Amino acid sequence: MLLELSSVTRRFGGLLAVVDLSMTIEPGSIHGLIGPNGAGKSTVFNLITGVVPLTAGEILFKRERISGLRPSEICRRGVARTFQATALFREYTVLQNVLIGAHLLAAPGLAPALFRSRSYRERERRARRRGRALLESLGLGAVANQVAAQLPHRDQKALALAMALATGAELVILDEPLAGLTAQERAKTIAVLRRLREQGTTVLLVEHDMKAVMGVCDTVTVLDHGVRIAEGTPREIQANPAVIEAYLGAEEPGA
Amino acid sequence: MGLRKAEAVSPAVGIALIALAAVALPLVTRDSYYLDVATTILMNLTLTMSFRLQVSTGQINMAHISFMGIGAYASALLVTRLGWSFWATLWIGALVAALLAVPIGSVALRVSGPYYFLITFAFSEVVRLFFNNFFEGLFGGPSGLVGIPKPGRLLGLTFDGKLALYWLMAVLCVVVVVALVRLDYSRFGLTAGAIRQADLVVETLGVNVFRFKLTTFVLGSFVAGLAGVFFAHYRQVLHSSDFGLEPMVLLVVFTVIGGTGSVWGPVVGTILMTIASELLRELHHYEILVFGAVLILTMLFAPEGLVALPGAARRLVRKVRGRASEPAGVGLAP
Repeated sequence: MLLELSSVTRRFGGLLAVVDLSMTIEPGSIHGLIGPNGAGKSTVFNLITGVVPLTAGEILFKRERISGLRPSEICRRGVARTFQATALFREYTVLQNVLIGAHLLAAPGLAPALFRSRSYRERERRARRRGRALLESLGLGAVANQVAAQLPHRDQKALALAMALATGAELVILDEPLAGLTAQERAKTIAVLRRLREQGTTVLLVEHDMKAVMGVCDTVTVLDHGVRIAEGTPREIQANPAVIEAYLGAEEPGA
Repeated sequence: MGLRKAEAVSPAVGIALIALAAVALPLVTRDSYYLDVATTILMNLTLTMSFRLQVSTGQINMAHISFMGIGAYASALLVTRLGWSFWATLWIGALVAALLAVPIGSVALRVSGPYYFLITFAFSEVVRLFFNNFFEGLFGGPSGLVGIPKPGRLLGLTFDGKLALYWLMAVLCVVVVVALVRLDYSRFGLTAGAIRQADLVVETLGVNVFRFKLTTFVLGSFVAGLAGVFFAHYRQVLHSSDFGLEPMVLLVVFTVIGGTGSVWGPVVGTILMTIASELLRELHHYEILVFGAVLILTMLFAPEGLVALPGAARRLVRKVRGRASEPAGVGLAP
């Protein structure tokens, strides 16, 4: 397994946002995390990426403990994410945004930047190449030099994904990658997710579009009030009475 | 290749202009008053550039002037008490400032925004009161530390006249400007600006934001310390109030009026405001009132600083022209 949460708990004051959650993510899979609003999905993302510390439990990535590390260190180990409210560097161009994502590929620090050594320039060129290639593959090649704030919503979404991928992460965690997109744009993003899986990148996503989740995910975990109430293939989840009861009311998932 | 294409001035051109102006000035005038003003501009520029380096990550360090003071007092003491050479203490003073910046930055940078502002402000007051009230035999207390010698000889040259000291400061300043401009146009500057816009996102993309901010804090303090050492041996007397709230506010005003979004902002702000400060000298303490008014007007009409005005004007002209060429009554102007 690539990522393993064991007995993860997060308490905010008197509120238990995530309770004793255990789940595993298989390498090369697309794993969906679903649940009603307030179920604790975004908190799980924040816990995995180190943005919020755990109250109890531990998280392993490639069998190494990542809980307790800084977000930057967790990213360095190979976990990248996007945010629900698409977070970009709004004053920067699309290419500059993705170059920040390629930070780990570049030569950081003072001395290389001051003296512009050959290796600094070589690594920056490499970062730039990866950035450009990523932008092309996500349909952002034409807007590479546009300022991010001026992009339409769909391009901002795509850029956030490009930035996460630019880190070279093995696991990308996407918070509502389809929100606010038209049916056509959704289909495009879903195709991108499938392509990522083919290339060996593992995807964990939170999404409210049930049809998309059931269509694209290999495994789905269902959270309700911070508790895992089900996990399985989309087919199993759709047939699970607990899920139908607690999460979807009387409606059948995917209907 | 530079990462900051959006800048209007190429770094080489900007640096060349500053260096040229620094070299040209003594050719135009050797009047000691003008040399003094020019030296002050270069000293201030060193300070504002290093302050802007920290502001570029979105942090307003209200203790920046204190690190100038730490460098100044460190060098003054080493030279007057232990008889060390200025040419050694120039770097030692800056290093002392940088070394103290490590623990202080490590504490202050745990918080951000207004809390950071307050912590650094409190620290600057501690430093000022320390120089003023403690070890009076050493720091000179309220009457100041006096009798600091001029830099003296190096490589057969004597640095004691106004002109020689001007050249020394010019060299220091240009070296600092070259280094900080290079940084700004590199990945370092790109990352700093990204941290200012969305630090959590930068962190999740693999940059240790705390360490990055600490690096800018320590480097900025080193440069401030360097300026402080020069200041000590140029003025030859130090008072704790030289590193108090008022000069700190001026430092903020100089930097902000020029504009913190661009590495050239402090250059424009410092040159204009140092000259203005000379012209307003007769107002004494009321000078800061005028600066306050200028700051308010800048914030109202040019919030990105004077350096952003040409771009804003160009955009306005383009907009007006674009509107004029549009057929009347068709669509709305964007």
